[in-house]
Amino acid sequence: MPVRRLDELKPGEKGRIVKVGGTRNYLRRLRDMGLVAGSDIEMERIAPLGDPVEVKVKGYHLALRREEAAGIQVEA
Amino acid sequence: MDKSITIALVGNPNAGKTTVFNNLTGARQHVGNWPGVTVEKKEGVTEYGGYRIRVVDLPGVYGLTAFSQDEIITRDYLMNAGPDVVVVDIVDASNLERNLYLTVQVLEMGVRTIVALNMMDQAESRGHDIDTAGLSNLLGVPLVPMSAHRNRGTRELLDEIVRMAEGGKRAPVLKVRYGREIEEEIVNLEPMITATDLGRAYSPRWLALKLLEEDDEIARRFRQ
Repeated sequence: MPVRRLDELKPGEKGRIVKVGGTRNYLRRLRDMGLVAGSDIEMERIAPLGDPVEVKVKGYHLALRREEAAGIQVEA
Repeated sequence: MDKSITIALVGNPNAGKTTVFNNLTGARQHVGNWPGVTVEKKEGVTEYGGYRIRVVDLPGVYGLTAFSQDEIITRDYLMNAGPDVVVVDIVDASNLERNLYLTVQVLEMGVRTIVALNMMDQAESRGHDIDTAGLSNLLGVPLVPMSAHRNRGTRELLDEIVRMAEGGKRAPVLKVRYGREIEEEIVNLEPMITATDLGRAYSPRWLALKLLEEDDEIARRFRQ
């Protein structure tokens, strides 16, 4: 499966996280919230101007800045 | 009443911590601030089974990495709590996977803990069938199923709190195996850590893990 950036997914598209990028502390925060390699993730909604986006991961909804979503690579 | 217990509530945001707190303490609450910060500090008191139980509501967090103010307060409280405190970890049963991440972090610290499996009614209505006895066994701590917003499970939780307070002070330390490389480093670090004051106060394995994570706060404490 091709690897794409999370922010390229359209609402309803699903994928599996391959890699999460960011600074050390920020990565830790995302990890705490369940964004780890191997997790299934689904793009739920995108705000009118493309930022923020809402994803579903580990059974709950999470809003991310577009920039944060762009740092997450998924197989989709 | 001469016998007293202090319990600390931890849990993810929106796991129902405040509802449990209200169920336990009713109107006998006191709201303040943690020293020097604008994070609210809530304390309440209840009486049960011949004990005066002081309840501390810690800020809701997803992890204990000392990244945000809330996390630092919660972790410092747990680190400084001492063996007398019983931690009640409020877990959202309808969102088990994410919530158990914090649970594992708390159990790795080696503090006495009861897991309150909250929102059982929601989990059931979503079709989740949770093997509570099996989960309790895996985690090595008592587990109380609850539906706090219907005030179900509060009495069972209080019973468990009293039982734990009357039992021994030592808490089991949950050991997650992190693979050969990391385990080797832990084995290397543990003897050095055990010889320090910090290592006598907290689980050396937990401290070793934090150092391997490059946790600035723990590293700073070792330098002191």
